[in-house]
Amino acid sequence: MARARRGLEVNGHRRSLDGVPDDERLLDTLRGRWRLTGTKEGCRSGGCGACTVLVEGRPTLSCLTLSSEVEGSAVTTIEGIASDAVGRVVRTAFEREGALQCGYCTPGFVLALVGLLKERGARVASETLVEELSGNLCRCTGYVSIRRAAEAAREALG
Amino acid sequence: MIRPDAREKLSGEAVYGTDLAVERMLYGAFVPSPVPNGVVRRLDLGPARRVPGVVAAVGPDELDRLCPKHDLERPLFPKVAVSYYGQPLAAVAAESPAAARAAVRAVVLEVDAAPPLVDVEELYPAWPEASARGDARTVAHVLARDGDLVEAFARADLVHEETYRTSGVHQVAIEPHACVAEVADGRWSVTTTTQTPFGVREDVSDLLGIPPEKVVVTGTWVGGGFGGKGSSFLEPYALLLAAAAGRPVRLALSYREEFQLGRTTLPMVVRLETAVRDGAITGRRVRLLLDSGASLPGRDFATGYAIAFLLGPYRVGAFEMEGYAIRTNKPPFGPHRAPLAPQCAFALESHTDSLARRLGIDPVEFRLRHVWREGDTTPLGLRVGPFGLAEALERARALRDRWRADGSGSGRGLGVACGFWSTGTGAGGEARLRLGPEGLAIVEGEREIGSGSVVGGLVDVAVRVTGLPPTAVRVVYENTATAPYDTGVFGSRTVGALGQAVAKAAASLVRTLADRLGSRAPVSLEVKGGRVVVVSGRLRRSLEALLTPEERRAGGLVATGKHYGRSGPIDERRVVDGTFYGYQDFTATVALAEVAVDKETGQVSATRVAEFLDVGVALNPALVTAQVEGGVAMGLGTALTEEMLWRDDGRLGNPGLLDYRVPTITEVPPLTVELLEGHKGAGPFGAKGVGEPPIIPVPAAVANALADATGARVTELPLSPERVARALKPL
Ligand code: FES
Ligand code: FES
Repeated sequence: MARARRGLEVNGHRRSLDGVPDDERLLDTLRGRWRLTGTKEGCRSGGCGACTVLVEGRPTLSCLTLSSEVEGSAVTTIEGIASDAVGRVVRTAFEREGALQCGYCTPGFVLALVGLLKERGARVASETLVEELSGNLCRCTGYVSIRRAAEAAREALG
Repeated sequence: MIRPDAREKLSGEAVYGTDLAVERMLYGAFVPSPVPNGVVRRLDLGPARRVPGVVAAVGPDELDRLCPKHDLERPLFPKVAVSYYGQPLAAVAAESPAAARAAVRAVVLEVDAAPPLVDVEELYPAWPEASARGDARTVAHVLARDGDLVEAFARADLVHEETYRTSGVHQVAIEPHACVAEVADGRWSVTTTTQTPFGVREDVSDLLGIPPEKVVVTGTWVGGGFGGKGSSFLEPYALLLAAAAGRPVRLALSYREEFQLGRTTLPMVVRLETAVRDGAITGRRVRLLLDSGASLPGRDFATGYAIAFLLGPYRVGAFEMEGYAIRTNKPPFGPHRAPLAPQCAFALESHTDSLARRLGIDPVEFRLRHVWREGDTTPLGLRVGPFGLAEALERARALRDRWRADGSGSGRGLGVACGFWSTGTGAGGEARLRLGPEGLAIVEGEREIGSGSVVGGLVDVAVRVTGLPPTAVRVVYENTATAPYDTGVFGSRTVGALGQAVAKAAASLVRTLADRLGSRAPVSLEVKGGRVVVVSGRLRRSLEALLTPEERRAGGLVATGKHYGRSGPIDERRVVDGTFYGYQDFTATVALAEVAVDKETGQVSATRVAEFLDVGVALNPALVTAQVEGGVAMGLGTALTEEMLWRDDGRLGNPGLLDYRVPTITEVPPLTVELLEGHKGAGPFGAKGVGEPPIIPVPAAVANALADATGARVTELPLSPERVARALKPL
């Protein structure tokens, strides 16, 4: 039986986790229950990064996270990125550098990069940027434009 | 330039196939075959129907009942013989995914297992030295020849003989297949992530035996296609479930199923024998043994066109080419970005390189002596039109020499390889444009798959014809009931073929407006204060003033255009058996790769790559460059890490991203992209298709760089550490 929970703060709004089973993945709560489908479902096993969201500011694979594990936390998804200053910078960089094609990996990359830039700041080295994005797969771009966007976002924050 | 779809995709609003959900929707699941080969003795869906939450279960009997005119040759579920592991034998729909899974487990299934055929070479132990012979497992045989090959071989200074092998590779679009189907009021509707809405309509109509006008397909945003979403897959199953359940059904694949059931590139074995006299190729024999999975006879599309890649874009004198496609116990072969061309180029371009080295001739120079040039005739008798291969090779050679001179250091090697492709696929399409006071709408059934060919390429064509700014042109998607027919986004044809239809429609709009303006000179369109203005010299009128009242009510002036390309006539005298394809409108691509090799572990990494692409005219250089970047990265995966590992028992040993490794951001080195313009293609304004060609020469260039670095020729893809280490071991 699911017990009463503290809920989640998703993109600044409180959402109840009442009735959510203990073993429900955050990915399914976001997409299935709340229809926040901007968070993408890929491999469901930690291999692609498409499902990346921020939990308390940290990039987190929502397919490997149970909603019950993170109750009480603040969660940011792509739908909430526009109300975040770093989020806006990253989004603009992706737009300008054309760092997306099919767009399916894009929310995951954006969230991963926002989390990284918030944690490391604008002085983060290029190698670190790339290293930290290596859990996110993109099959379309060859990463060239994503690299450019990551660096442009970093410069814009500097 | 900002991609028109960037905002929607960056806000999370874009709806993909996996995101679909409707009221009262059920969740579908397949009942998979537990064996790769065998006979179904008993299938009892009764217990599955009794699982709580289950609404429908369908197998061969329900297919017969609900779709009495279904395709008997290609039934959705086999009645008796199982062809591959995981093959759907039945399907269920339930209130939740968990209930659907429980129902699958409850199905009573008895299957007698038979030994599977996994490796095509098992069937022909003496191949390739002795020719294969057709049997029940042969789904296609092709044979063509010209000239006196016996004479060429007898008089040769040297006959260079090699055998190459390649493995199965998967498209790995990040979005899995997913659709939602509903059957109501005699309409069979499916919303799906597809490259070809009209192709899905045709397939569903054929497979289920339903008239096409009763099938309605709506596309969603597509999270990567690469050929894997190029024809129907889940849609007919979802529709059958929806018909049985009387409710909408969502059917989606897990990644494990994506890998296990994927219709993709399968292994092949290639034999190449090339005769040389006085430093020039005088004859070539090629043989291809292709694993075509559970493809049906007469449905193999690959053999007759793939094999032509093995003669290359080269003048080879006398030739013979013979290929077999063999039915094995794997899912049916399916298209995957330039189907089989990277694999054929790997074999041919490795062979060309090793031959040149054996002759002591620079491999690029050797190629330049043989490459097709405009006006040449291909082995199958087609004329070569404007073709940038020689120029691309010259440029690659110059850059290679610069890279060599800048001292890339020990352990590094440089390799060059060619690829070619035909973008005049003959697949046609129609366009409908609607010009309203605020701008131009391109009405389409097919959705953007990521390459930019729809949201960018078609828009660029309309912009060039009308003069409108890109911001005043948008693509409007409709379903197959109302959208103009088009064959789909595949084969690098969207801009080349559908773009022609758009260009014709746009030209007819412009002509109509010139008439209405009373101008003999051509008109162009501008936007002033958010309104379209028609301009000819000093004459200017608002579009609104030129529209009839009916047009104003209908939202604007409508024009249509059609383009049905033709494939070229091949010289049938050279064809002995099978079907070959009339390639034309060739495009060329050359890759230059630099690799570093760890001689202890056999680990190869690409340290920089350049690609030279003959684009005819680059309508949108940023989008074209992005296609090259993506294609090169995918080619590096094919070259180095990607390999589907089927076990002897017919199961895929690595059905997931942890064991099937595609390149990550750290594995793609700096890329140099050069677009060659001037060798005009048959597309609008001389454009050539660019989606597929970039991947083609990459694995071969990497293999040639590896040979350059180490002297070792690895004859099997991918160039994994084990294979490389084995090749490096002193005998
Ligand atoms: S869906 Fe979570 S990592 Fe792939
Ligand atoms: S843009 Fe398609 S996977 Fe990255």
